Amino acid sequence: MSNNEMARMKFYCDDQRCIECNGCSVACAEAHELPTGVSRRKVITLNEGVEGKEFSTSVACMHCTDAPCEQVCPVDCFYIREDGIVLHDKDVCIGCGYCLYACPFGAPQFPRDGAFGTKGAMDKCTMCAGGPLETNSAHERELYGQNRIAEGKVPMCAAMCSTKALIVGSADEVAKIYRTRIAAKGKGVQSAPYGWSKAYSN
Amino acid sequence: MKKYLFLSIASLFLASAAFAADSQIWDAMRIQNIYGYGQVESLGLGPLFTMLQANYFAQIFLAVLIGVPAVFLLHYLVIGPKVFSHDGKKIYAFSIFNRIVHQVAAISFIVLIPTGFIMTFGSYFGGGEFVRMMKDLHGIATISFGIVVIPMFLMWIKDMLPNFDDIKWMMIVGGYLSKEKKPVPAGKFNAGQKSWYWIATLGGMVMILTGATMYFLDFDIEMVRSMTGLSQIDLLRVAAILHAFFGMLVVALFFTHVYMAVFAIKGAIHSIITGYKEEEEVEILHSSWYKKLKKEGKI
Amino acid sequence: MANTWGYGAMTNSLGDIQNAKAIIIFGANPAVNHPVGFGHFLKAKERNNAQIIVVDPRYTKTAAKADIFAQIRPGTDIPFMYGMLNIIFKNGWEDKKFIKDRVYGIEDIRKEAAKWTPEKVADVTGVSAEKLMQITRVYAKSTPGTLIWAMGLTQHTIGSSNTRMAPILQLCLGNMGVEGGGTNILRGHDNVQGATDMCCLSHTLPGYYGLSAGSWKYFAKSWGVDYEWLAGRFKDKKMMSAKGFTLAKWYSGVLAGKPGEDKIHNAGTNLKALFVMGNGITSIAQQAKVKEALDNLELIVLADPFVNEAAILTDKKDDVFLLPAATQFETSGSVTATNRSAQWRYQVVEPMYESKPDHEIMFEFAKRLGFYDEYTKGMLIRENKKTFKFPEDATDEIARIIKTIGLTGWTSKRLKKHTDNWHMFDEVSLRGTGPMKGEYYGLPWPCWTESHSGSPVLYNINRSVKEGGMGFRNRFGLEHDGQNLLAGKGSAPKGSSNKDGYAEITAKNIESVLGIKLSAAEKKKIGKNWKVDTSNIIAEKCMEAGIAPYGNAKARAKVWTFPDQIPMHREPLHSPRQDLAKKYPSYKDKANHYRVDTKYISKQTEKDWSKEFPINLVTGRLVNLNGAGMENRASKYLAELTPEMFCDIHPGLAANHGIRNGDMMWVHSPEGTKIKVKAKFSYSVSEDRVFLPMHFAGHFQGEDLSHKYPEGTKPYAVGESANTVTNYGYDIVTQIPETKGGLCRIEKA
Repeated sequence: MSNNEMARMKFYCDDQRCIECNGCSVACAEAHELPTGVSRRKVITLNEGVEGKEFSTSVACMHCTDAPCEQVCPVDCFYIREDGIVLHDKDVCIGCGYCLYACPFGAPQFPRDGAFGTKGAMDKCTMCAGGPLETNSAHERELYGQNRIAEGKVPMCAAMCSTKALIVGSADEVAKIYRTRIAAKGKGVQSAPYGWSKAYSN
Repeated sequence: MKKYLFLSIASLFLASAAFAADSQIWDAMRIQNIYGYGQVESLGLGPLFTMLQANYFAQIFLAVLIGVPAVFLLHYLVIGPKVFSHDGKKIYAFSIFNRIVHQVAAISFIVLIPTGFIMTFGSYFGGGEFVRMMKDLHGIATISFGIVVIPMFLMWIKDMLPNFDDIKWMMIVGGYLSKEKKPVPAGKFNAGQKSWYWIATLGGMVMILTGATMYFLDFDIEMVRSMTGLSQIDLLRVAAILHAFFGMLVVALFFTHVYMAVFAIKGAIHSIITGYKEEEEVEILHSSWYKKLKKEGKI
Repeated sequence: MANTWGYGAMTNSLGDIQNAKAIIIFGANPAVNHPVGFGHFLKAKERNNAQIIVVDPRYTKTAAKADIFAQIRPGTDIPFMYGMLNIIFKNGWEDKKFIKDRVYGIEDIRKEAAKWTPEKVADVTGVSAEKLMQITRVYAKSTPGTLIWAMGLTQHTIGSSNTRMAPILQLCLGNMGVEGGGTNILRGHDNVQGATDMCCLSHTLPGYYGLSAGSWKYFAKSWGVDYEWLAGRFKDKKMMSAKGFTLAKWYSGVLAGKPGEDKIHNAGTNLKALFVMGNGITSIAQQAKVKEALDNLELIVLADPFVNEAAILTDKKDDVFLLPAATQFETSGSVTATNRSAQWRYQVVEPMYESKPDHEIMFEFAKRLGFYDEYTKGMLIRENKKTFKFPEDATDEIARIIKTIGLTGWTSKRLKKHTDNWHMFDEVSLRGTGPMKGEYYGLPWPCWTESHSGSPVLYNINRSVKEGGMGFRNRFGLEHDGQNLLAGKGSAPKGSSNKDGYAEITAKNIESVLGIKLSAAEKKKIGKNWKVDTSNIIAEKCMEAGIAPYGNAKARAKVWTFPDQIPMHREPLHSPRQDLAKKYPSYKDKANHYRVDTKYISKQTEKDWSKEFPINLVTGRLVNLNGAGMENRASKYLAELTPEMFCDIHPGLAANHGIRNGDMMWVHSPEGTKIKVKAKFSYSVSEDRVFLPMHFAGHFQGEDLSHKYPEGTKPYAVGESANTVTNYGYDIVTQIPETKGGLCRIEKA
């Protein structure tokens, strides 16, 4: 990353620490008053109950650098902020679902509100940065939830994480915390957290 | 025909009932279904879809939208339309049932194709309410097409089965590249019409199914999963890719169909309105059928 | 615990767990029940390379983070720990000096441990000998090691033996009184430690003062009321000193006299009224009995912010009252954390609608029952005031009276200061910095004087008493069987004027033990002993001399007043192993156990329970719900995570019964009760047991009681209560129900 480029905001969930308490997802739903059935953030457990193989991680929009959702959107409702947060305009979104097909994390959510299960406008994690409407306006809050970033606050999920497994911040800072933890452990070196540089890195 | 109607509605109902079941995409199923993280089990459909949708689909549709009419314009200018006498005898070709079914399908297509294009190029329309309305229209038109597609498939299938004439027809491209009025080897329907028939019915059904998959998004139909072996998200991705691919074919052939009916063969469109074709037109363009009718003494 | 070394509380703190090199967890699932506290475990693992060992019937979320996991059969912790001791003694890994100077009665333990060879342990517990040896080696070699437990260890007929066994293991390894060691019992809810300290118990007065006339008199004096008046409130003085009913068996107090019910000793009468404040009644074992008891009461009063589901469970139509109580956010006061630290909690909002804080509800009752003045008088005494300010004056009253656990230093002023400056404290050592220097966060008790630092690590002789150091408490006399019970030579806390063991401090021995002379004025003011010395002269003098007021004695491995002097294995009343139940039978039936004649051996031998009920039943908690789950299930986001009651079942076991994932199934109990729940396939349970979460209510034995909720109060999630099928069985000392080791039978619904 070149120095003149602004720091990119990133999430990272340490699966060594995540205990599937769902604090993040409940805090998120509560903070943004989401309808039930819409999970902007969700804790996922793999191999549940299998000795030595069970692990949990918290998944939401990863705010990818090469955001596939943004590439496939037929109405170009996505925009990427200078700090790397991937947001979208619900007034432009037509609920086609293409972003969901493109997303490697299953982040886009579609409230099922219409008859015959019509999809409404897509909803996803905003990293608590609201949307394109006037910052902290009632309209923004209604459509996108709280705008904590504008208030200088940490996104709700990470603030509420009980074991500080979920961390958020500029890529540099998060990588530093990540490296410190790995160094303290002295084992289990990973090159980089999942889904960071590229959503699809093949 | 009531049976078909019932079946079509029933399948719709089934889809929405299945929808009420647990989510196949989110909640607990999310990670099982959505292979991110470069997991080996992934079929790579996510990146494939992203690549195609981001770089090719809209471009190809644009090419079809401009290219196909351009070719026909050239054809019209260089070779020109075929003109047949409308004063001669007429041959009864399409029953009233044929015509109603066709007309419903035609109207559906007239809605489906522009709305489809508007969605594909949604960004140029600014997205939002207008495009969303087009999306809903697209869905509604699907219902009317869905109702007639099976009757249409059944009522013409006998005449649409391929035969030797089709190969000969293909060799001379239906005689459309020459201005001569020479009998063209073809039955009641020529190879071009047959292609259109198969694409419009079978392709149309694929379009309906893939479209419905994307529309309902989150449903749980065990049979679909066991048959395809795909997770829900990959099913959706396959649906999106197939929908786009067949969309291109259908659109290209639809344009051809319209061109033929309206421009290339002057007045041909009347046959699907009145049910009667011009005898001369049949004699030249459907020579085998003409001979057959003659033999049977129907003319 | 208290019977081993003086106090029954977590010895270290959650933060201190970060100092551990090994963490062994018996019957606790902190990843689910203490998600924030569990962060310290993970940090210990991350920064300290601590080995986490989990011994549990289930592969819990905690086990998922463990280095070693042992899947133990419920109720066999004692054999497991004896097995560990067997290996420890055989290899000489015990801390010999520590045992010699600070522990009494290890010889008996040694003898019993010798019987529990790894092979025998494997047969009883289901944990292989190799795994036992691996765990023992890792745990004994990585010191300091901390031992964690919770309800998985206590909720057994032998729970009180279990909770002695774990300290014995720690004592043998010298893991007591050190940072990173200790026995750390995790309290299950907010302020449970505080509630226990303040006597939400039926067998003590606040601060664990007994029920003797002497204690009553001390309290009468401290409260400023006449002892005879207090005694007059009871039927007679005998009942005044009698232990009360427990939460586990109160239903017997109502149902006694009916056929098949346990007999009671309640001064000739049954219980007629029930008043519940903040207890989810559906979290009590024997739900069917509880329901019957509720139906037979004359009056039920339920004070709770949410609808207490006792009101839903009962068929009683009249004289059931719901009082809207305020939540913690609508009131203020001190709460005590699991590590004996106190925090001040400020009011956030005024009580909403017509709800009232608990104390106001109680004050109103006291007014109407005619003893309001006596009830509140204690708050006026300290400063001789006319009116009191709640809760500050109540906190100060507690500080004034409770000496046993050293709450003298817990004035409301100090507690508030700690909460206000919480950022100035270190999360691991709890040490304060800046203006808070010299104090530990929340002044973990014992906090002997108003300038004492608090005691973050109990029984730590490497610190001076002033800085929270102390030996074990002298609570069980000076000698037993001719052996001295005081601590050995040189094992006094740092900086002590008396380097050896000494007795608890009284007015009589203070001069000789401390080596000081009291002035005449002091002699006049001083109380009889450290527990009742309201002048606090004993504590102050002790601090100066570096002496712990409660003495410096040995911990005891042998409790001669208990049915089992040393912990002995006894099979659960409903054991899947009949052969072992014969070999390790339960206790004799116990008469007048908290006023109830409680069945042990007669229940165990009533029939071969395991024939009809072959599956072990384990209950426990979920991360999103808490206790009876009343408030959590009323939150749509929390309820969404587990919208229905379910049963974790191994796919193999389910297959044997033709149950598919998501099918409804019946769970039948030996009590003749049953519940209908959804099967949830899980590999976390083995094929011989099922797991039920305990938070649901609103269904009863297959019947949906939803229609009974007052309009608009039905929670988002309702379901069968696991406690409808938990088995009969109560601890021999504490009467805690045996919910962690019962039996059941399952079938497809």
